[in-house]
Amino acid sequence: MKSADFAYHRPGDIAEAVRHLQDYDGGARVLAGGQSLMPMMNMRLWRPDAVVDINGLTDLAELTAEGDETRIGALVRYSTLEFSPLVAERLPLLKAMVAFVGDRQVRNRGTIGGSLVQGDPTGEMPLGCLVLGATVSVLGPSGAHTIAMEDLYEGAYTATLAPDEVLTEVRVPPHPPHFAFRECCRRHNDFCVLSVAATGRMADDGRWRGLRIGLGGVNDTPVLAEASMALLEGSRLDDADIAAAGGAALRAIDPPDDIRGSAEYRAHLVPIYVARVLRDLRASAQAAAR
Amino acid sequence: MSAPRQSLIGAALPRKEDDRLLRGDGLFTDDVQLAHQLEMAVGRCPFPRAAIGAIDVAQARALADVRHILTGADVRAASEPLTVLRPVPGAPLLPYYALAGEEAIHEGQPVVSVVAASRAIAEDALELIDIDYEPLPHVTDTLGALADDAPVLHRETLPSNLLTSNVDRAGEPEARLAEAPVVVEGRFHVNRVSALPMEARGIVAHWRAGARTLEVHASTQTPHLIRQQLAECLPLDEGCIRVIASDVGGGFGMKLGLYPEDVLAVLHAMALRRPVKWIEDRLEFFRASTQAREAVHEVRIGAEADGRIVAITNQYTTDLGAWNSTYGSAQLSSVVFTGPYKVADAAVERRVALTNKTPIGAYRGYGQPEVNFALEVLIDRLARRLDVDPLELRRTNMLRPEDLPWTTPSRAVYDNGDYLKTLQMAADAVDYDAHRAVGRECHDDGRLTGIGFASFVERTGYASARFLAGRGSRFGAHESVVLRANRSGGIDLYTGVSTFGQGSETAFAQVCAEVFGIDYEAITIHAGDSGASPLNTGAFASRTLIAAAGAIREAADALRDKTLRIAAMVLQSTPDALEVHGRAVRVADEPGRTVSLADIFTRAIIGQGISEDEAPGLEAAAHFEPSHASFSFGTAAAVVSVDLESGEFDVERFVMAHDCGVVVNPPLVEGQVRGGLVQGLGAALAEELRYDASTGQLVSGSMLDYFAPTIMDVPPIDLLHTEIPSSITPFGVRGVGEVGTIPPAAAITNAVCDALADYGVEISTLPLTPERVWQALSAARNAREPR
Ligand SMILES: Cc1cc2nc3c(=O)[nH]c(=O)nc-3n(C[C@H](O)[C@H](O)[C@H](O)COP(=O)(O)OP(=O)(O)OC[C@H]3O[C@@H](n4cnc5c(N)ncnc54)[C@H](O)[C@@H]3O)c2cc1C
Repeated sequence: MKSADFAYHRPGDIAEAVRHLQDYDGGARVLAGGQSLMPMMNMRLWRPDAVVDINGLTDLAELTAEGDETRIGALVRYSTLEFSPLVAERLPLLKAMVAFVGDRQVRNRGTIGGSLVQGDPTGEMPLGCLVLGATVSVLGPSGAHTIAMEDLYEGAYTATLAPDEVLTEVRVPPHPPHFAFRECCRRHNDFCVLSVAATGRMADDGRWRGLRIGLGGVNDTPVLAEASMALLEGSRLDDADIAAAGGAALRAIDPPDDIRGSAEYRAHLVPIYVARVLRDLRASAQAAAR
Repeated sequence: MSAPRQSLIGAALPRKEDDRLLRGDGLFTDDVQLAHQLEMAVGRCPFPRAAIGAIDVAQARALADVRHILTGADVRAASEPLTVLRPVPGAPLLPYYALAGEEAIHEGQPVVSVVAASRAIAEDALELIDIDYEPLPHVTDTLGALADDAPVLHRETLPSNLLTSNVDRAGEPEARLAEAPVVVEGRFHVNRVSALPMEARGIVAHWRAGARTLEVHASTQTPHLIRQQLAECLPLDEGCIRVIASDVGGGFGMKLGLYPEDVLAVLHAMALRRPVKWIEDRLEFFRASTQAREAVHEVRIGAEADGRIVAITNQYTTDLGAWNSTYGSAQLSSVVFTGPYKVADAAVERRVALTNKTPIGAYRGYGQPEVNFALEVLIDRLARRLDVDPLELRRTNMLRPEDLPWTTPSRAVYDNGDYLKTLQMAADAVDYDAHRAVGRECHDDGRLTGIGFASFVERTGYASARFLAGRGSRFGAHESVVLRANRSGGIDLYTGVSTFGQGSETAFAQVCAEVFGIDYEAITIHAGDSGASPLNTGAFASRTLIAAAGAIREAADALRDKTLRIAAMVLQSTPDALEVHGRAVRVADEPGRTVSLADIFTRAIIGQGISEDEAPGLEAAAHFEPSHASFSFGTAAAVVSVDLESGEFDVERFVMAHDCGVVVNPPLVEGQVRGGLVQGLGAALAEELRYDASTGQLVSGSMLDYFAPTIMDVPPIDLLHTEIPSSITPFGVRGVGEVGTIPPAAAITNAVCDALADYGVEISTLPLTPERVWQALSAARNAREPR
């Protein structure tokens, strides 16, 4: 479990990082927190020619409020998200979810940018950012552009970034007032069997608007349960609505069959967990109304 | 007269080991750095079974800083097959060399090894070695391996994959079953798991040819036995070999014997005349270190209508993996297959099956958790069938204090105890009666509550060296110690028992201090060095203290006698008027008349200022073999709540009431029991080394996919003790090392089945996951409402 040979670069600015990536013509990888990159290299499943260490690029570690939007630099660590008052206030769903990532050591090193590029189908950050409607900013040799979370993945562990592009920040639009999150794990904070996140707003008439439900661990990528969302638009989230939405969520899944759980069991759990999360959401709105 | 010192037996003294471990001053194998040291990496078979053709090492050899390469042919020329210390009685020896020859028979079997300037370079070299593998038909299923058409692993030695089978029986169980009004039966599948010590294996081998000295640092529980096995394999005179196990980061039975990599490191070191280090990484650990438990038990219990058990039979198949490792498959299922129950007519048959998987070895419990799961779950089924309370059913059948000692149908002898008492304590601790009064539906959210019990006995120690000889075991039942006075007025205690977290340094020092009367702090333990300790057996089978306490008592008595004789001369008194106090000897009636131990010990050591009749030196060696094994016992109780929809469940409480005889050090005992319970809970609920039947590959062979519990996964555990001195051991101690692993699976399974009793759910397979509960619920529902 020792990595194959590689060159190591520690650029002083982001442009230099991109140049290094370009130099290796797809053979280099960015090193952020290293929590996925290092194990993959040590197992020799990945053998990059070079590693471009971006940990010196402090610009990428900023967390700021820009009007309605919250901007999270790619190098912001899980622990920072976990304890930041700004995140607690503006992105409570993300704060709730980040506590489910790995252990303290992993959260001290792992970054949001690394997590999004890694694109683990069970990852909390990809799911949270998807449900919150975030976009990511990317810098490459031909300049900067943005990618919506919906378009970030081609499949499991496959972000649509080019190998010479760096993810620089995550932009999150305003957070709806209500949210809920649950995940099912084989052990504490393990990669999940499945996870469900939801956000929404209950209008003054008691009807829900803009409800979003995301599912993790039950498809190649985190997915939105669009059929369930459509069913619930304008509903009061009563028990029948919730039951229907739980069933409709099955349309979004194509679950894996692995040591954590069979595809059949994951499919069995999806309506159960969606319903639980929707009941949590409803309870949160009811509590707020009191 | 001065007040007698409070006994140290039972005192919660701080662990001798903790200071260095907590300060990071432990010395583990990877901390050993020798000058000119090289590193080894091992190339392993990626298939469950393959013919090995040409091996081309030319490119690897040409790589800079690669120093030495071994293949199967080299190993055959230079060494013998690995020896077995605890063979399965009646089984032929299966040859297994440190590297595979023409055929590899499990994924992870060593095929080539490389030594280079660093581990990374050695791994680079492995990638350059071209090996012609031709995959061959394999079998990974335990029972499937015994089918007529299964590919046979050891064709040259055996006609099938059945290594051997043996029966223990008493009375007429089949006849009793045939006439019993009620018979329950089940087939129970016990999962393959890993002992998973924090430190995997490791070795540093150093051969000095001129001195004809092989010095080996190894992470092992049995330095003296490794020395023996190395001598046999190399072959080399034992006198040339010194094995040192300083700190060991956990063993749990998995580090009991010689492994292929040990032989390889030594062969490289001897060829290169340079120290060679090999540190097992976690990925290879999962394929190279012995695995454990996997078994299928088919159990039948016959009972009278009033619940009295009249017969038990158990035919079980243990999975040995591809080869008989040093300690082979677990052997205690047969010994305790009737548990704490009074049954005269019973039979057990053990069958040992070979499969194309990593070899099985010893692991904490060694067959006892497996059989406890099968027996105790079936006892609860019997209770449901008879519609009697499971607690009552256990009471009816449990051996009473007056029944003990009791010779079991497999001819083990249980010493004294009070099994019913721990059963009642566990029931009281979980408020069993109150729970039963409230019923199962006591949760607002619709979850159902269940309570389950599992009672057990645990064999600790061995019956005798004669018993071991009868089974072909190549080690004794004794422990040994050397005590040596030093000039600072302290005692050096030399033991072959290595230190791997069990606290033996502490317990040994406690016993020694108690017998001699000296301060606990004045005792220094020197453990695990074959060059500086008397030949012994080693730390396993929950036997160490049972045997060592006797040896320490004998040696400390001898040392004390001589100390007091010399002191009597100095103090112009008589030995029986004296006592040891702290680091001095004084006249008991006149505490002012005193002489320091440093003074007495120095006189003795240099032979000056002692009586003419007294020989110089102050040292004592003793060997002690207990007269029998002693049996610990107890009952665990679990309270669970089960979600009917998802099958998810929580263990809300777990209570363990047990007896390990006289407790030498309460925190040590608590640590042993809790640690064992966590391993038992992990194996019961989540851990599983799963092999894909079609590819023969291990699919859960990393920390990513092997679900060992974290501290966050451990339910609240309450420990309760009784302390009934064993009638047959020194100080009345019983072993405590393995007990925690035994009852969790059955207790929790019984609790889940109890919660779901109205649905007729039965569970027979481990690990008990939420998915499995859901499957069992679905199956039970389908069975009830046929469509
Ligand atoms: C024990 C353990 C438990 C874990 N548990 C969880 C869990 O419960 N949930 C979960 O979601 N994850 C878990 N993880 C994975 C963890 O979240 C990783 O930290 C994360 O996937 C990667 O983030 P990182 O900053 O460490 O990235 P790295 O490991 O450094 O990189 C990961 C990948 O992203 C690329 N990359 C990183 N940053 C950038 C960037 N700015 N631009 C372009 N490419 C980039 C790298 O080149 C690499 O391909 C766990 C990991 C471990 C070791």
